[in-house]
Amino acid sequence: MNSADTTQSAISIRGITKRYGNLTAVSNLHLEVNRGEILGFLGLNGAGKTTTIRILLDLLRPTSGSAFVFDRHCQNDGLNARSLIGYLPGELGVYSHLTGREVLDFLAGLSRHPVDLKYRGELQERLELPSRDLHRKLREYSTGMKRKLGLIQALQGDPPLLILDEPTEGLDPLMQESFYAMLADVRKRGRTVFMSSHVLSEVARVCDRVALLRKGELVLSSAVEELRKLAPRRVRVIFSEPMDSHPGFPTGHEIVEIAPRYWSLRVEGMLGPLLELLTTLPVQDIEIEELRLEDVLIKYYREGTS
Amino acid sequence: MRGPLTLLAHSFKRARTLVLVMGALLAIFQVFLIVVAKSLQKSNAFAQIGALIPPFMREMLGPSLTSFLSFDGLVCVGYFHLAVMGSLVALSIALSTAPTSEIETGFMDLILARPLARHWIITRSILVLGVCTLALLAMMMGGTWAGLQMLAPKDVAWPASGLILSLAINLGLLMLCWGGVAMAIGSASRRRSVAGALAGLLALATFLMDYVARAWPPAESVAWLSPFRYYSPFELLMGSPLPARNLIVLAGIASTGFALAYILFSKRDISQ
Repeated sequence: MNSADTTQSAISIRGITKRYGNLTAVSNLHLEVNRGEILGFLGLNGAGKTTTIRILLDLLRPTSGSAFVFDRHCQNDGLNARSLIGYLPGELGVYSHLTGREVLDFLAGLSRHPVDLKYRGELQERLELPSRDLHRKLREYSTGMKRKLGLIQALQGDPPLLILDEPTEGLDPLMQESFYAMLADVRKRGRTVFMSSHVLSEVARVCDRVALLRKGELVLSSAVEELRKLAPRRVRVIFSEPMDSHPGFPTGHEIVEIAPRYWSLRVEGMLGPLLELLTTLPVQDIEIEELRLEDVLIKYYREGTS
Repeated sequence: MRGPLTLLAHSFKRARTLVLVMGALLAIFQVFLIVVAKSLQKSNAFAQIGALIPPFMREMLGPSLTSFLSFDGLVCVGYFHLAVMGSLVALSIALSTAPTSEIETGFMDLILARPLARHWIITRSILVLGVCTLALLAMMMGGTWAGLQMLAPKDVAWPASGLILSLAINLGLLMLCWGGVAMAIGSASRRRSVAGALAGLLALATFLMDYVARAWPPAESVAWLSPFRYYSPFELLMGSPLPARNLIVLAGIASTGFALAYILFSKRDISQ
Protein backbone atom coordinates (compact mmCIF):
# COMPACT_ATOMS: atom_id res chain seq x y z
CA MET A 1 0.00 0.00 0.00
CA ASN A 2 1.11 3.51 -0.71
CA SER A 3 2.55 5.17 2.36
CA ALA A 4 0.87 8.38 1.26
CA ASP A 5 -2.48 6.95 2.29
CA THR A 6 -3.42 8.89 5.34
CA THR A 7 -7.09 8.20 5.73
CA GLN A 8 -8.28 5.97 8.54
CA SER A 9 -10.90 4.42 6.33
CA ALA A 10 -10.33 1.21 4.46
CA ILE A 11 -13.72 1.68 2.82
CA SER A 12 -15.53 4.93 2.43
CA ILE A 13 -18.99 4.87 0.93
CA ARG A 14 -20.36 8.33 0.28
CA GLY A 15 -24.01 8.66 -0.57
CA ILE A 16 -24.27 5.71 -2.89
CA THR A 17 -27.57 5.09 -4.61
CA LYS A 18 -28.22 2.30 -7.07
CA ARG A 19 -31.46 2.16 -8.99
CA TYR A 20 -32.76 -0.37 -11.45
CA GLY A 21 -35.60 1.41 -13.16
CA ASN A 22 -38.14 2.09 -10.43
CA LEU A 23 -36.45 -0.21 -7.95
CA THR A 24 -33.96 1.34 -5.57
CA ALA A 25 -31.52 -1.34 -4.44
CA VAL A 26 -29.35 0.98 -2.32
CA SER A 27 -30.40 4.43 -1.21
CA ASN A 28 -27.99 7.18 -0.22
CA LEU A 29 -25.71 4.86 1.69
CA HIS A 30 -22.96 6.39 3.79
CA LEU A 31 -20.59 4.02 5.53
CA GLU A 32 -17.02 4.10 6.76
CA VAL A 33 -15.04 0.97 7.52
CA ASN A 34 -11.95 1.67 9.57
CA ARG A 35 -8.62 0.10 8.82
CA GLY A 36 -7.95 -3.08 10.72
CA GLU A 37 -11.51 -3.71 11.80
CA ILE A 38 -13.94 -6.46 10.95
CA LEU A 39 -17.27 -5.09 9.90
CA GLY A 40 -20.33 -7.30 9.70
CA PHE A 41 -22.65 -6.19 6.93
CA LEU A 42 -26.14 -7.37 7.75
CA GLY A 43 -29.54 -7.31 6.16
CA LEU A 44 -32.31 -9.50 4.90
CA ASN A 45 -32.18 -10.93 1.40
CA GLY A 46 -32.60 -8.10 -1.07
CA ALA A 47 -31.58 -5.45 1.43
CA GLY A 48 -28.76 -4.27 -0.86
CA LYS A 49 -25.71 -5.95 0.71
CA THR A 50 -24.49 -7.67 -2.43
CA THR A 51 -25.24 -4.61 -4.55
CA THR A 52 -23.02 -2.54 -2.26
CA ILE A 53 -20.25 -5.11 -2.43
CA ARG A 54 -20.48 -5.23 -6.22
CA ILE A 55 -20.23 -1.44 -6.41
CA LEU A 56 -17.04 -1.59 -4.34
CA LEU A 57 -15.65 -4.06 -6.88
CA ASP A 58 -16.84 -1.93 -9.82
CA LEU A 59 -18.96 -4.79 -11.07
CA LEU A 60 -21.92 -2.43 -10.75
CA ARG A 61 -21.89 1.30 -11.37
CA PRO A 62 -23.74 3.44 -8.83
CA THR A 63 -26.53 5.71 -10.01
CA SER A 64 -25.06 8.40 -7.77
CA GLY A 65 -22.51 8.75 -5.01
CA SER A 66 -19.03 7.34 -4.81
CA ALA A 67 -17.05 4.70 -2.99
CA PHE A 68 -13.40 4.52 -2.09
CA VAL A 69 -11.09 1.71 -1.01
CA PHE A 70 -8.01 3.05 0.75
CA ASP A 71 -8.67 6.40 -0.92
CA ARG A 72 -8.89 4.87 -4.39
CA HIS A 73 -12.11 5.66 -6.18
CA CYS A 74 -13.77 2.32 -6.89
CA GLN A 75 -14.93 3.38 -10.34
CA ASN A 76 -12.41 5.96 -11.57
CA ASP A 77 -9.38 4.22 -10.09
CA GLY A 78 -10.87 0.75 -9.94
CA LEU A 79 -7.75 -1.17 -10.93
CA ASN A 80 -5.73 0.23 -8.03
CA ALA A 81 -8.66 -0.18 -5.66
CA ARG A 82 -9.18 -3.81 -6.63
CA SER A 83 -5.48 -4.59 -6.35
CA LEU A 84 -5.99 -4.17 -2.59
CA ILE A 85 -9.01 -6.44 -2.31
CA GLY A 86 -9.48 -10.15 -1.82
CA TYR A 87 -13.04 -11.11 -2.70
CA LEU A 88 -15.14 -14.12 -1.83
CA PRO A 89 -18.41 -14.13 -3.78
CA GLY A 90 -21.58 -15.59 -2.34
CA GLU A 91 -21.37 -18.36 -4.89
CA LEU A 92 -18.13 -19.46 -6.49
CA GLY A 93 -18.85 -19.39 -10.22
CA VAL A 94 -16.06 -21.50 -11.59
CA TYR A 95 -16.03 -24.08 -14.35
CA SER A 96 -16.43 -27.59 -13.05
CA HIS A 97 -13.86 -29.08 -15.42
CA LEU A 98 -11.07 -27.11 -13.73
CA THR A 99 -9.13 -28.51 -10.80
CA GLY A 100 -8.89 -26.59 -7.55
CA ARG A 101 -5.24 -25.84 -8.23
CA GLU A 102 -6.03 -24.51 -11.71
CA VAL A 103 -8.59 -22.14 -10.23
CA LEU A 104 -6.17 -20.89 -7.58
CA ASP A 105 -3.31 -20.48 -10.09
CA PHE A 106 -5.54 -18.76 -12.62
CA LEU A 107 -6.90 -16.27 -10.09
CA ALA A 108 -3.44 -15.71 -8.63
CA GLY A 109 -2.21 -14.96 -12.15
CA LEU A 110 -4.77 -12.17 -12.47
CA SER A 111 -3.40 -10.40 -9.41
CA ARG A 112 -0.63 -7.88 -9.54
CA HIS A 113 1.66 -9.66 -7.11
CA PRO A 114 2.74 -13.28 -7.09
CA VAL A 115 1.13 -15.43 -4.45
CA ASP A 116 3.26 -16.75 -1.60
CA LEU A 117 2.81 -20.50 -2.00
CA LYS A 118 3.88 -21.07 1.58
CA TYR A 119 1.03 -18.89 2.79
CA ARG A 120 -1.37 -20.65 0.45
CA GLY A 121 -0.17 -23.95 1.94
CA GLU A 122 -0.91 -22.65 5.44
CA LEU A 123 -4.41 -21.66 4.40
CA GLN A 124 -4.95 -25.09 2.87
CA GLU A 125 -3.79 -26.70 6.06
CA ARG A 126 -6.03 -24.61 8.27
CA LEU A 127 -9.05 -25.21 6.09
CA GLU A 128 -8.14 -28.86 5.63
CA LEU A 129 -8.01 -28.76 1.86
CA PRO A 130 -4.92 -30.84 1.08
CA SER A 131 -3.03 -30.69 -2.21
CA ARG A 132 -4.44 -34.00 -3.38
CA ASP A 133 -7.92 -32.42 -3.23
CA LEU A 134 -6.66 -29.48 -5.25
CA HIS A 135 -5.79 -31.88 -8.05
CA ARG A 136 -9.40 -33.00 -8.30
CA LYS A 137 -11.87 -31.42 -10.69
CA LEU A 138 -14.39 -29.05 -9.17
CA ARG A 139 -17.27 -31.23 -10.26
CA GLU A 140 -16.09 -33.65 -7.57
CA TYR A 141 -16.07 -30.96 -4.87
CA SER A 142 -18.72 -30.76 -2.18
CA THR A 143 -20.31 -27.41 -1.29
CA GLY A 144 -18.02 -27.11 1.72
CA MET A 145 -14.90 -27.82 -0.33
CA LYS A 146 -15.90 -25.16 -2.85
CA ARG A 147 -16.33 -22.71 0.00
CA LYS A 148 -12.88 -23.55 1.32
CA LEU A 149 -11.44 -23.04 -2.15
CA GLY A 150 -13.24 -19.71 -2.34
CA LEU A 151 -11.76 -18.61 0.95
CA ILE A 152 -8.27 -19.65 -0.10
CA GLN A 153 -8.49 -17.73 -3.38
CA ALA A 154 -9.67 -14.62 -1.52
CA LEU A 155 -6.98 -14.85 1.13
CA GLN A 156 -4.03 -16.24 -0.84
CA GLY A 157 -2.74 -12.83 -1.95
CA ASP A 158 -2.84 -11.59 1.66
CA PRO A 159 -4.66 -8.40 0.58
CA PRO A 160 -5.13 -5.41 2.89
CA LEU A 161 -8.91 -5.65 2.51
CA LEU A 162 -11.07 -8.76 2.43
CA ILE A 163 -14.62 -8.55 1.13
CA LEU A 164 -16.41 -11.74 2.04
CA ASP A 165 -19.97 -12.51 1.03
CA GLU A 166 -21.49 -15.07 3.42
CA PRO A 167 -18.09 -16.62 4.18
CA THR A 168 -19.20 -19.53 6.37
CA GLU A 169 -22.12 -20.62 4.21
CA GLY A 170 -21.62 -24.33 3.61
CA LEU A 171 -18.78 -24.77 6.10
CA ASP A 172 -19.15 -27.37 8.83
CA PRO A 173 -18.85 -26.18 12.47
CA LEU A 174 -15.21 -27.24 12.75
CA MET A 175 -14.26 -25.35 9.62
CA GLN A 176 -16.22 -22.35 10.85
CA GLU A 177 -14.01 -22.38 13.93
CA SER A 178 -10.91 -22.53 11.75
CA PHE A 179 -12.25 -19.65 9.71
CA TYR A 180 -12.85 -17.55 12.83
CA ALA A 181 -9.30 -18.25 13.94
CA MET A 182 -8.04 -17.21 10.52
CA LEU A 183 -10.04 -13.99 10.76
CA ALA A 184 -8.49 -13.27 14.13
CA ASP A 185 -5.03 -13.73 12.62
CA VAL A 186 -5.88 -11.54 9.68
CA ARG A 187 -7.03 -8.81 12.03
CA LYS A 188 -3.87 -9.14 14.12
CA ARG A 189 -1.89 -8.42 10.99
CA GLY A 190 -3.85 -5.21 10.47
CA ARG A 191 -6.00 -6.37 7.60
CA THR A 192 -9.56 -5.10 7.22
CA VAL A 193 -12.51 -7.41 6.73
CA PHE A 194 -15.88 -6.43 5.31
CA MET A 195 -18.16 -9.42 5.55
CA SER A 196 -21.81 -9.91 4.88
CA SER A 197 -23.52 -12.57 6.90
CA HIS A 198 -26.86 -13.96 7.90
CA VAL A 199 -25.44 -15.68 10.94
CA LEU A 200 -25.93 -13.18 13.74
CA SER A 201 -24.07 -15.24 16.32
CA GLU A 202 -21.09 -15.26 13.98
CA VAL A 203 -21.24 -11.50 13.57
CA ALA A 204 -21.54 -11.04 17.32
CA ARG A 205 -18.53 -13.23 17.83
CA VAL A 206 -16.05 -12.03 15.22
CA CYS A 207 -17.00 -8.50 14.22
CA ASP A 208 -15.88 -5.22 15.75
CA ARG A 209 -18.73 -3.31 14.21
CA VAL A 210 -21.97 -4.04 12.44
CA ALA A 211 -23.86 -2.16 9.78
CA LEU A 212 -27.40 -3.16 9.03
CA LEU A 213 -29.17 -2.45 5.77
CA ARG A 214 -32.90 -2.47 5.41
CA LYS A 215 -34.53 -1.99 2.02
CA GLY A 216 -31.36 -0.38 0.73
CA GLU A 217 -30.99 2.03 3.63
CA LEU A 218 -28.52 1.93 6.47
CA VAL A 219 -30.51 1.62 9.70
CA LEU A 220 -27.74 0.74 12.09
CA SER A 221 -24.02 1.26 12.24
CA SER A 222 -22.51 0.57 15.60
CA ALA A 223 -19.67 -1.07 17.45
CA VAL A 224 -20.59 -4.53 18.67
CA GLU A 225 -19.65 -3.53 22.22
CA GLU A 226 -22.03 -0.58 22.05
CA LEU A 227 -24.79 -2.85 20.89
CA ARG A 228 -24.11 -5.23 23.72
CA LYS A 229 -24.60 -2.34 26.12
CA LEU A 230 -27.94 -1.65 24.49
CA ALA A 231 -28.95 -5.26 24.83
CA PRO A 232 -31.57 -5.72 27.54
CA ARG A 233 -30.86 -8.21 30.31
CA ARG A 234 -33.27 -10.61 31.90
CA VAL A 235 -33.20 -10.52 35.69
CA ARG A 236 -34.81 -13.22 37.77
CA VAL A 237 -35.28 -12.50 41.45
CA ILE A 238 -36.25 -15.21 43.94
CA PHE A 239 -37.52 -14.17 47.34
CA SER A 240 -37.22 -16.00 50.61
CA GLU A 241 -40.83 -15.10 51.49
CA PRO A 242 -43.90 -14.25 49.39
CA MET A 243 -44.19 -10.71 48.17
CA ASP A 244 -47.72 -9.37 48.26
CA SER A 245 -47.07 -6.44 45.98
CA HIS A 246 -44.23 -4.95 44.03
CA PRO A 247 -42.91 -1.44 44.17
CA GLY A 248 -42.74 0.82 41.13
CA PHE A 249 -39.83 -0.10 38.94
CA PRO A 250 -37.35 2.40 37.54
CA THR A 251 -37.56 3.41 33.85
CA GLY A 252 -36.39 0.77 31.40
CA HIS A 253 -37.63 -2.09 33.59
CA GLU A 254 -40.31 -4.28 32.15
CA ILE A 255 -42.11 -7.06 34.01
CA VAL A 256 -42.03 -10.32 32.12
CA GLU A 257 -43.49 -12.55 34.82
CA ILE A 258 -44.47 -11.97 38.39
CA ALA A 259 -45.30 -14.52 41.13
CA PRO A 260 -45.41 -14.25 44.95
CA ARG A 261 -41.82 -15.50 45.35
CA TYR A 262 -40.48 -14.80 41.87
CA TRP A 263 -40.05 -11.87 39.53
CA SER A 264 -38.79 -11.98 36.02
CA LEU A 265 -37.83 -8.60 34.62
CA ARG A 266 -36.38 -7.27 31.39
CA VAL A 267 -33.94 -4.47 32.11
CA GLU A 268 -32.55 -2.00 29.63
CA GLY A 269 -29.59 0.09 30.77
CA MET A 270 -27.85 0.10 34.15
CA LEU A 271 -28.75 -2.43 36.82
CA GLY A 272 -27.86 -0.10 39.71
CA PRO A 273 -31.37 1.27 40.42
CA LEU A 274 -32.85 -2.23 40.53
CA LEU A 275 -30.16 -3.54 42.85
CA GLU A 276 -30.72 -0.57 45.12
CA LEU A 277 -34.43 -1.39 45.24
CA LEU A 278 -33.76 -5.05 45.96
CA THR A 279 -31.62 -4.31 49.02
CA THR A 280 -34.81 -3.43 50.85
CA LEU A 281 -36.50 -6.74 49.97
CA PRO A 282 -36.01 -10.34 51.24
CA VAL A 283 -34.02 -11.53 48.22
CA GLN A 284 -32.84 -15.14 48.23
CA ASP A 285 -31.21 -15.29 44.83
CA ILE A 286 -30.69 -13.23 41.68
CA GLU A 287 -30.05 -14.51 38.18
CA ILE A 288 -28.90 -12.08 35.50
CA GLU A 289 -29.04 -13.37 31.97
CA GLU A 290 -27.47 -11.31 29.26
CA LEU A 291 -29.57 -11.34 26.14
CA ARG A 292 -27.80 -12.20 22.95
CA LEU A 293 -26.76 -9.55 20.48
CA GLU A 294 -28.85 -11.38 17.93
CA ASP A 295 -31.94 -10.39 19.87
CA VAL A 296 -31.03 -6.74 19.52
CA LEU A 297 -30.35 -7.08 15.84
CA ILE A 298 -33.48 -9.04 15.16
CA LYS A 299 -35.43 -6.07 16.47
CA TYR A 300 -34.01 -4.01 13.59
CA TYR A 301 -34.86 -6.72 11.09
CA ARG A 302 -38.39 -6.98 12.43
CA GLU A 303 -38.98 -3.28 12.28
CA GLY A 304 -38.20 -3.60 8.62
CA THR A 305 -40.69 -6.32 7.97
CA SER A 306 -43.56 -4.82 9.89
CA MET B 1 0.53 -7.72 -18.66
CA ARG B 2 0.55 -10.68 -16.29
CA GLY B 3 -3.22 -10.62 -15.76
CA PRO B 4 -4.24 -10.31 -19.44
CA LEU B 5 -1.80 -13.06 -20.45
CA THR B 6 -3.15 -15.37 -17.75
CA LEU B 7 -6.68 -14.70 -18.96
CA LEU B 8 -5.69 -15.28 -22.58
CA ALA B 9 -3.92 -18.54 -21.77
CA HIS B 10 -6.94 -19.75 -19.82
CA SER B 11 -9.30 -18.87 -22.67
CA PHE B 12 -7.18 -20.61 -25.29
CA LYS B 13 -7.04 -23.67 -23.11
CA ARG B 14 -10.79 -23.61 -22.78
CA ALA B 15 -11.41 -23.27 -26.53
CA ARG B 16 -8.65 -25.73 -27.49
CA THR B 17 -10.59 -28.99 -27.49
CA LEU B 18 -13.60 -27.59 -29.33
CA VAL B 19 -11.46 -25.99 -32.03
CA LEU B 20 -9.25 -29.05 -32.46
CA VAL B 21 -12.21 -31.41 -32.75
CA MET B 22 -14.05 -29.13 -35.14
CA GLY B 23 -10.89 -28.49 -37.17
CA ALA B 24 -10.28 -32.22 -37.44
CA LEU B 25 -13.86 -32.83 -38.59
CA LEU B 26 -13.62 -30.09 -41.20
CA ALA B 27 -10.26 -31.42 -42.40
CA ILE B 28 -11.77 -34.90 -42.70
CA PHE B 29 -14.66 -33.38 -44.64
CA GLN B 30 -12.18 -31.87 -47.10
CA VAL B 31 -10.58 -35.28 -47.58
CA PHE B 32 -14.02 -36.85 -47.96
CA LEU B 33 -14.89 -34.37 -50.73
CA ILE B 34 -11.68 -35.28 -52.52
CA VAL B 35 -12.63 -38.96 -52.29
CA VAL B 36 -16.04 -38.16 -53.78
CA ALA B 37 -14.54 -35.94 -56.48
CA LYS B 38 -12.03 -38.67 -57.35
CA SER B 39 -14.81 -41.23 -57.63
CA LEU B 40 -16.96 -38.98 -59.84
CA GLN B 41 -13.95 -38.14 -61.95
CA LYS B 42 -13.09 -41.80 -62.43
CA SER B 43 -16.61 -42.69 -63.52
CA ASN B 44 -16.81 -39.57 -65.66
CA ALA B 45 -19.99 -38.63 -63.76
CA PHE B 46 -19.53 -34.84 -63.67
CA ALA B 47 -20.94 -34.46 -67.20
CA GLN B 48 -23.86 -36.77 -66.40
CA ILE B 49 -24.73 -34.81 -63.26
CA GLY B 50 -24.58 -31.59 -65.27
CA ALA B 51 -27.07 -33.00 -67.75
CA LEU B 52 -29.47 -33.94 -64.95
CA ILE B 53 -29.66 -30.40 -63.59
CA PRO B 54 -32.94 -28.70 -64.62
CA PRO B 55 -32.68 -25.68 -66.89
CA PHE B 56 -33.93 -23.16 -64.30
CA MET B 57 -31.17 -24.26 -61.96
CA ARG B 58 -28.62 -23.89 -64.73
CA GLU B 59 -29.92 -20.39 -65.33
CA MET B 60 -29.76 -19.55 -61.66
CA LEU B 61 -26.26 -20.85 -61.15
CA GLY B 62 -25.03 -19.47 -64.47
CA PRO B 63 -21.55 -20.20 -65.70
CA SER B 64 -20.40 -21.08 -62.19
CA LEU B 65 -22.12 -24.43 -62.69
CA THR B 66 -19.37 -25.52 -65.04
CA SER B 67 -16.69 -24.69 -62.55
CA PHE B 68 -18.58 -26.39 -59.77
CA LEU B 69 -19.07 -29.64 -61.72
CA SER B 70 -15.44 -30.50 -61.95
CA PHE B 71 -12.85 -32.20 -59.79
CA ASP B 72 -11.28 -28.97 -58.56
CA GLY B 73 -14.71 -27.33 -58.20
CA LEU B 74 -16.00 -30.09 -55.97
CA VAL B 75 -12.84 -29.99 -53.88
CA CYS B 76 -13.55 -26.31 -53.21
CA VAL B 77 -17.11 -27.05 -52.00
CA GLY B 78 -15.63 -27.70 -48.58
CA TYR B 79 -15.16 -23.94 -48.22
CA PHE B 80 -18.75 -22.94 -48.93
CA HIS B 81 -20.86 -25.98 -48.13
CA LEU B 82 -23.83 -24.99 -46.01
CA ALA B 83 -22.81 -27.33 -43.20
CA VAL B 84 -19.27 -25.92 -43.16
CA MET B 85 -20.39 -22.30 -43.23
CA GLY B 86 -23.09 -22.98 -40.65
CA SER B 87 -20.77 -24.70 -38.21
CA LEU B 88 -18.06 -22.05 -38.60
CA VAL B 89 -20.51 -19.22 -38.03
CA ALA B 90 -21.96 -21.09 -35.04
CA LEU B 91 -18.48 -21.52 -33.58
CA SER B 92 -17.76 -17.81 -34.07
CA ILE B 93 -20.95 -16.97 -32.22
CA ALA B 94 -20.11 -19.42 -29.43
CA LEU B 95 -16.59 -18.03 -28.97
CA SER B 96 -17.78 -14.43 -29.12
CA THR B 97 -20.47 -14.85 -26.52
CA ALA B 98 -18.06 -16.42 -24.02
CA PRO B 99 -17.96 -13.20 -21.89
CA THR B 100 -21.75 -13.36 -21.51
CA SER B 101 -21.45 -16.94 -20.33
CA GLU B 102 -18.76 -15.93 -17.86
CA ILE B 103 -21.08 -13.28 -16.45
CA GLU B 104 -23.94 -15.75 -16.25
CA THR B 105 -21.93 -18.34 -14.35
CA GLY B 106 -20.39 -15.81 -11.97
CA PHE B 107 -16.87 -16.50 -13.26
CA MET B 108 -16.62 -12.91 -14.43
CA ASP B 109 -17.09 -11.72 -10.84
CA LEU B 110 -13.89 -13.50 -9.87
CA ILE B 111 -12.02 -12.18 -12.91
CA LEU B 112 -13.10 -8.56 -12.64
CA ALA B 113 -12.71 -8.47 -8.86
CA ARG B 114 -9.00 -8.57 -9.72
CA PRO B 115 -7.09 -5.58 -11.03
CA LEU B 116 -7.95 -6.32 -14.65
CA ALA B 117 -9.44 -3.67 -16.92
CA ARG B 118 -12.71 -4.56 -18.59
CA HIS B 119 -11.40 -3.95 -22.09
CA TRP B 120 -9.15 -6.98 -21.70
CA ILE B 121 -12.20 -9.21 -21.64
CA ILE B 122 -13.17 -8.08 -25.15
CA THR B 123 -9.57 -7.95 -26.40
CA ARG B 124 -9.09 -11.50 -25.15
CA SER B 125 -12.24 -12.67 -26.93
CA ILE B 126 -11.20 -11.02 -30.20
CA LEU B 127 -7.76 -12.63 -30.00
CA VAL B 128 -9.25 -16.04 -29.23
CA LEU B 129 -11.71 -15.66 -32.11
CA GLY B 130 -8.96 -14.56 -34.50
CA VAL B 131 -6.53 -17.32 -33.57
CA CYS B 132 -9.23 -20.01 -33.59
CA THR B 133 -10.44 -18.84 -37.01
CA LEU B 134 -6.89 -19.03 -38.36
CA ALA B 135 -6.36 -22.45 -36.80
CA LEU B 136 -9.60 -23.83 -38.26
CA LEU B 137 -8.88 -22.51 -41.73
CA ALA B 138 -5.32 -23.81 -41.54
CA MET B 139 -6.62 -27.26 -40.58
CA MET B 140 -9.15 -27.16 -43.42
CA MET B 141 -6.46 -26.18 -45.91
CA GLY B 142 -4.20 -28.83 -44.41
CA GLY B 143 -6.97 -31.37 -45.01
CA THR B 144 -7.34 -30.24 -48.62
CA TRP B 145 -3.61 -30.37 -49.23
CA ALA B 146 -3.17 -33.77 -47.58
CA GLY B 147 -6.20 -35.18 -49.41
CA LEU B 148 -4.94 -33.96 -52.77
CA GLN B 149 -1.46 -35.28 -52.10
CA MET B 150 -2.74 -38.72 -51.16
CA LEU B 151 -5.87 -39.19 -53.25
CA ALA B 152 -6.03 -36.91 -56.28
CA PRO B 153 -5.85 -38.69 -59.63
CA LYS B 154 -2.72 -37.80 -61.58
CA ASP B 155 -4.54 -36.64 -64.70
CA VAL B 156 -6.77 -33.95 -63.13
CA ALA B 157 -6.10 -30.32 -62.38
CA TRP B 158 -5.95 -29.42 -58.70
CA PRO B 159 -7.62 -26.27 -57.50
CA ALA B 160 -5.12 -23.43 -57.56
CA SER B 161 -3.60 -22.74 -54.16
CA GLY B 162 -4.48 -19.08 -54.68
CA LEU B 163 -8.13 -20.04 -55.08
CA ILE B 164 -8.15 -22.09 -51.89
CA LEU B 165 -6.44 -19.28 -50.04
CA SER B 166 -8.92 -16.71 -51.38
CA LEU B 167 -11.86 -18.88 -50.32
CA ALA B 168 -10.31 -19.36 -46.89
CA ILE B 169 -9.62 -15.64 -46.41
CA ASN B 170 -13.14 -14.69 -47.46
CA LEU B 171 -14.63 -17.40 -45.24
CA GLY B 172 -12.41 -16.35 -42.34
CA LEU B 173 -13.60 -12.76 -42.62
CA LEU B 174 -17.19 -13.97 -42.73
CA MET B 175 -16.52 -15.79 -39.43
CA LEU B 176 -14.98 -12.68 -37.89
CA CYS B 177 -17.91 -10.62 -39.11
CA TRP B 178 -20.41 -12.86 -37.31
CA GLY B 179 -18.08 -12.97 -34.32
CA GLY B 180 -18.20 -9.17 -34.16
CA VAL B 181 -21.99 -9.11 -34.43
CA ALA B 182 -22.37 -11.78 -31.74
CA MET B 183 -19.87 -10.05 -29.44
CA ALA B 184 -21.77 -6.77 -29.66
CA ILE B 185 -25.08 -8.52 -28.92
CA GLY B 186 -23.48 -10.55 -26.12
CA SER B 187 -22.02 -7.44 -24.51
CA ALA B 188 -25.51 -6.07 -24.03
CA SER B 189 -27.12 -9.36 -22.97
CA ARG B 190 -27.52 -11.06 -19.63
CA ARG B 191 -27.85 -14.57 -21.04
CA ARG B 192 -25.59 -16.32 -23.48
CA SER B 193 -28.50 -18.34 -24.83
CA VAL B 194 -30.33 -15.13 -25.72
CA ALA B 195 -27.26 -13.56 -27.32
CA GLY B 196 -26.43 -16.73 -29.22
CA ALA B 197 -29.99 -17.23 -30.40
CA LEU B 198 -30.29 -13.60 -31.55
CA ALA B 199 -27.01 -13.73 -33.45
CA GLY B 200 -27.88 -17.15 -34.89
CA LEU B 201 -31.32 -16.03 -36.04
CA LEU B 202 -29.82 -12.92 -37.58
CA ALA B 203 -27.29 -15.08 -39.43
CA LEU B 204 -30.02 -17.40 -40.66
CA ALA B 205 -32.25 -14.52 -41.74
CA THR B 206 -29.47 -12.77 -43.64
CA PHE B 207 -28.35 -16.04 -45.21
CA LEU B 208 -31.88 -16.65 -46.48
CA MET B 209 -32.09 -13.04 -47.64
CA ASP B 210 -28.97 -13.53 -49.74
CA TYR B 211 -30.12 -16.92 -50.97
CA VAL B 212 -33.52 -15.65 -52.05
CA ALA B 213 -31.98 -12.64 -53.77
CA ARG B 214 -29.84 -14.93 -55.92
CA ALA B 215 -32.97 -16.61 -57.29
CA TRP B 216 -35.48 -13.77 -57.13
CA PRO B 217 -34.29 -10.43 -58.54
CA PRO B 218 -36.68 -8.16 -56.56
CA ALA B 219 -34.95 -9.24 -53.36
CA GLU B 220 -31.69 -7.86 -54.71
CA SER B 221 -32.56 -4.41 -53.40
CA VAL B 222 -32.10 -5.54 -49.78
CA ALA B 223 -29.55 -8.28 -50.31
CA TRP B 224 -26.67 -5.87 -49.77
CA LEU B 225 -27.64 -5.90 -46.09
CA SER B 226 -26.63 -9.54 -45.78
CA PRO B 227 -23.00 -10.26 -44.83
CA PHE B 228 -23.30 -13.48 -46.86
CA ARG B 229 -23.56 -11.33 -49.98
CA TYR B 230 -19.88 -10.50 -49.44
CA TYR B 231 -18.78 -14.10 -49.66
CA SER B 232 -18.95 -15.13 -53.32
CA PRO B 233 -17.29 -18.51 -53.73
CA PHE B 234 -18.79 -19.13 -57.16
CA GLU B 235 -17.22 -15.98 -58.55
CA LEU B 236 -13.90 -17.05 -57.13
CA LEU B 237 -14.36 -20.50 -58.66
CA MET B 238 -14.88 -18.87 -62.04
CA GLY B 239 -11.54 -17.21 -61.73
CA SER B 240 -12.45 -13.76 -60.45
CA PRO B 241 -9.89 -12.22 -58.12
CA LEU B 242 -10.77 -11.89 -54.45
CA PRO B 243 -12.90 -8.73 -54.37
CA ALA B 244 -11.39 -6.17 -52.02
CA ARG B 245 -14.84 -4.64 -51.50
CA ASN B 246 -16.14 -7.87 -49.98
CA LEU B 247 -13.21 -8.06 -47.60
CA ILE B 248 -13.57 -4.42 -46.60
CA VAL B 249 -17.29 -4.75 -45.91
CA LEU B 250 -16.85 -7.93 -43.82
CA ALA B 251 -13.90 -6.46 -41.94
CA GLY B 252 -15.91 -3.28 -41.43
CA ILE B 253 -18.85 -5.14 -39.91
CA ALA B 254 -16.49 -7.14 -37.69
CA SER B 255 -14.67 -3.99 -36.53
CA THR B 256 -17.92 -2.18 -35.85
CA GLY B 257 -19.13 -5.16 -33.82
CA PHE B 258 -15.92 -5.28 -31.82
CA ALA B 259 -16.00 -1.51 -31.21
CA LEU B 260 -19.61 -1.73 -30.03
CA ALA B 261 -18.67 -4.64 -27.78
CA TYR B 262 -15.90 -2.56 -26.17
CA ILE B 263 -18.29 0.33 -25.54
CA LEU B 264 -21.22 -1.75 -24.29
CA PHE B 265 -19.08 -3.95 -22.06
CA SER B 266 -17.31 -1.00 -20.48
CA LYS B 267 -20.62 0.58 -19.51
CA ARG B 268 -22.70 -2.40 -18.47
CA ASP B 269 -23.38 -3.75 -15.00
CA ILE B 270 -21.85 -7.14 -14.39
CA SER B 271 -24.72 -9.02 -12.82
CA GLN B 272 -26.08 -12.48 -13.25
